[in-house]
Amino acid sequence: MMARLTTWLDERTGFQQVWQAIFLRKIPKVNWFYTLGSATLFVAMNQMITGILLTLYYVPTPDHAYDSVQYITFQLPAGWYIRGLHHWGASAMVVLVVLHMLRVILYGAYKFPREVTWATGVILLLVTIGFGFTGYLLPWDQKAYWATTVGTRIAGAVPFVGDWILRILRGGNDLSAVTLARFFGVHVWVLPSVLLLLMGIHLFLVIRNGISAVPTRKD
Amino acid sequence: MDEKEKQAYLEKYHHEKEKGVPFFPDIIFKDTVVILVIFVALAALAYFAGAPLEERANPADTNYTPRPEWYFLFLFQLLKYFPGYLEVIGVVVLPTIGISLLFFLPLLDRSSKRHFINRPIVTGATLIGMIAIIGLTVLSIREAPPPAEAAGGDAVAALYIRNCASCHGASIQVATGTNLHNVIAEGKHEGMPSWSADLTSDQIDALAGFILSPGGSSLFAANCSACHSIEELVASSPVKLKEALGSGLTYEPHKGLQLPDWSKTLTPEQQTQLLNFLAAPDGQRLFATNCSACHGRYVAYSGEKEQLTKTISQGGVHLDMPAWKQKFSEAELQQLARYVVDPATAPEGKKLFQDQCAACHGERVPTAATVDEAYDQIANGGAHQTMPVWGQVLTPEQLDALVNYIIQANQGEDTEAGQKLFESNCAGCHGQFGEGGPNPARPNSVITPISSEEFLKTRDDITLAAIIALGQPDLGMGAFGNAAGGPLSDEDINSIVAYMRSWETNPPVVTAPEIEIQTLVMQGGEIYQQICAQCHGVSGEGNVGPALSDKDFQAKNNDQAIYDTISKGHNNTSMIAWGDILTPAQINQLVAFIRQMPPTEKPATPKPAEGQDAGNPPAAEATPTVTPTPKAASAPVFADIEPILKKRCAPCHGAMGGWDASTSEKVINSGDHGPAVIPGDAENSLLEKKLLGTQTDGTIMPPGGKLSEKELNLILEWIKAGAK
Amino acid sequence: MAKESKMNREGFLKGAIVSIVTLIGAALGLPALPYLAGPALQKSGDQEWIRLGPTSKVELGQPTLFKFKVKTQSGWIVDEQELSAYVLSNDGREFVALSNVCTHLGCRVRWIDDEKTFFCPCHNAVFDKDGKVAAGPPPRPLDKFEIKVQDNTLYIKGG
Repeated sequence: MMARLTTWLDERTGFQQVWQAIFLRKIPKVNWFYTLGSATLFVAMNQMITGILLTLYYVPTPDHAYDSVQYITFQLPAGWYIRGLHHWGASAMVVLVVLHMLRVILYGAYKFPREVTWATGVILLLVTIGFGFTGYLLPWDQKAYWATTVGTRIAGAVPFVGDWILRILRGGNDLSAVTLARFFGVHVWVLPSVLLLLMGIHLFLVIRNGISAVPTRKD
Repeated sequence: MDEKEKQAYLEKYHHEKEKGVPFFPDIIFKDTVVILVIFVALAALAYFAGAPLEERANPADTNYTPRPEWYFLFLFQLLKYFPGYLEVIGVVVLPTIGISLLFFLPLLDRSSKRHFINRPIVTGATLIGMIAIIGLTVLSIREAPPPAEAAGGDAVAALYIRNCASCHGASIQVATGTNLHNVIAEGKHEGMPSWSADLTSDQIDALAGFILSPGGSSLFAANCSACHSIEELVASSPVKLKEALGSGLTYEPHKGLQLPDWSKTLTPEQQTQLLNFLAAPDGQRLFATNCSACHGRYVAYSGEKEQLTKTISQGGVHLDMPAWKQKFSEAELQQLARYVVDPATAPEGKKLFQDQCAACHGERVPTAATVDEAYDQIANGGAHQTMPVWGQVLTPEQLDALVNYIIQANQGEDTEAGQKLFESNCAGCHGQFGEGGPNPARPNSVITPISSEEFLKTRDDITLAAIIALGQPDLGMGAFGNAAGGPLSDEDINSIVAYMRSWETNPPVVTAPEIEIQTLVMQGGEIYQQICAQCHGVSGEGNVGPALSDKDFQAKNNDQAIYDTISKGHNNTSMIAWGDILTPAQINQLVAFIRQMPPTEKPATPKPAEGQDAGNPPAAEATPTVTPTPKAASAPVFADIEPILKKRCAPCHGAMGGWDASTSEKVINSGDHGPAVIPGDAENSLLEKKLLGTQTDGTIMPPGGKLSEKELNLILEWIKAGAK
Repeated sequence: MAKESKMNREGFLKGAIVSIVTLIGAALGLPALPYLAGPALQKSGDQEWIRLGPTSKVELGQPTLFKFKVKTQSGWIVDEQELSAYVLSNDGREFVALSNVCTHLGCRVRWIDDEKTFFCPCHNAVFDKDGKVAAGPPPRPLDKFEIKVQDNTLYIKGG
């Protein structure tokens, strides 16, 4: 029965071929450092799930942001847990991305034929930092407000266009409702789209080119 | 990597792959194990540490120390090393280089070598980069200003941490000769705020001391703070401080106290640190603490700066004073002695002083503690105190500050111009002598005296100038500076400040004017008649305020609505929130009282002003007595009253809208309540009612107190004569 | 033998993967359920006494309409809502406060003085003076508020 269903499905979707290509492919023998990429992928998924759950209650306006975060954290059942996972996941994400990157540098895995995979990885690092920067403001507490004030001001120190960048980041001269709205939009729509796209390319290339082998002293 | 190497690599990789393991389940197993560990760690962090949530964002908070998230700390720390125009290196250049290096790494390192030992440059650079990032992060955490509470007993360090450390880090290097007090008070470089509004002059000096000598601050906290406040010592003479430190237990005020011998327990270095910390380079204060005991508020000096520096740093011997007892009679001596102790008690001594003493003493009256002492000094003469050698006591910065202050003070404004400006711009609310009065912008509150010793002592010139220029919106004072759209230039403001300073030696007022804030112990009807009837009419028929006995009003509002309106008031109307003044029970009584009003259709009758708002000046308590003056030979014309209007009315009326006191026509016709003047009919003119306080709406004008009788009569005559 | 051990190892690995994935899935998914349903499960907090007005306003033997404001909390937002109640007293000591919300579909009932009944205009429901259903579709009498008198002022709670 099961076998018949599998055949029926495979005839129509060809999933077995995909399954074979992705999961049954052979991989050179590698060590535990090679799990860092998957771990990063997992934390990214964790961020997506908890992030989506948070948006169900969070409201990105100065009037409500703080209250709604407070409501999530202290009133909702398991709200502290979802928010805690998201908060600590953000830090874990940065740590894992950097460690993953160090592993790649150390093993020379950015070399032929994986140069493009590496490039997408560097952009993914920047996207991760972008997530951290935009997400930080959202609770609209003192830390959020002042850290973002300073952070955007740093961008304002760029010569010639600094003031312009500052005003684009803040949506005006001051940190305001506009800033919060655009940080939220970037954090929840723009960056995830970029992340998914780049992650797709990154993973496709990883599967296509295979995981690099651990280089020996002679390599 | 050439084609051959590429092929070789691919072949070798293919080989290893064949020897390898399937992705599922072998590799994925490892992945899931690591993922589980990470997930458990995250869940544990969420449970035990939680997601932090601080206080709601408060843009007005100046005390918060902003810190970025930990993974930005290294960047944050990096910026500290690139101050000023170098900032661009930390902000743009280095990050761009770093990211470009990363991004183009495969193009930069094109060798076929893969093992990290075979790629020493990449491995080394990565190592250095990581060490730099981790090192900077650790530095940033270690240099992080601890939360203000963590500063222990060191109040000044806490002040520094709260206000300066977020931008300046743990310490600041200052070029010699910088007037730190001014830099802090006015804000100097880009992005640095002017602190004079948030910090007192004492605090700014304490901060300046801390910046120059951070060690002194902790020494102070450890050794002195148990008995002395920083404000107290900052304001005391450096000579005394030096003496206290240097002479140990023989120092008079420390005698008999259970104290360590400071001259032994503190090294000379530490003593210097403490001194530098306590005697901040604030010229004005240095003058006040060191020089004013002999020189009064002011020392006249018109010579070269170098000469002055020399005189101060080297000290000198003053001229001997002759014995006056042969020249003066006993009575004259007594008079002079009394005058010298307190000019106010012996005004007749002034002439004597000016004739006989001013030649040497100048305008300044030497001060003496007791009449006997003064008498003795005048009668017997004697050598004056030698001027101390200040160069041994003051640091170069302090000396600089002092010299600059004296030079500046000598170029300063004469107080006459300041007085005029004060009278035309400030006296309307603050009173002619800065004595204060009812606050026209706030019912029931008082403008406290700005001429009291206490007020002037606790604010330095910069603060005063800032208050005038920017106003105090919280207290209802508008901005007077040109920059903020006000009428005064910086020069004007400085001369007003100079004028205000002239009060310091002889404050015209000491205590706040008293206004009665009544606690109302009345019942419903009585409260209504005292408070509400003024606007809503004696029987609720309405006047300025809506008619309460009106059928519509009664139907539209339930008890709760009326209760709320009384309790909370309406913004921007004279219906204030009475809930602050009346008890709930009283408001309930009022609601009941309003409910039982019989509907009336009577037209509004203005009620004479008895039981005015509590905010009335004492002047209004006297019944307005306007003695009719015999008609002058010629009736007054507008030009006659214009100076009065300009001085007493125009500062507020005109620029701020409403009634405009600038031209004859406007005086008559403008105003929110219709024509202010009915020519020929003074009694029914709103202007007269406002000036006498007989109107029912608002307080008497000007808010600082009634015009003088002469001024009043002139205006009334002008109206009666047809307001031409 | 070797093959069997290989099978065992593979089986173990597969089993471990499935368990770990299920575990994490449950640890993420299960708390999400109460999180999602949270607001629906929350009980409304203790109500406070709401001041209606002086007892003297109540006409003896006839329902008198009082308007009052109630604070309602939904999520993190506190709202004010204006409600009305009819207060009835026959002797000036015992008071009854009736909701003016029809128990049928929630229209507002009004007191018709001539008929001495409450009338709901939506489906012609009629309640008598004490709030009992006299005619029409409502399933139960008008709701009552808890009421108390303090210092000659009426306070109600509930609704």
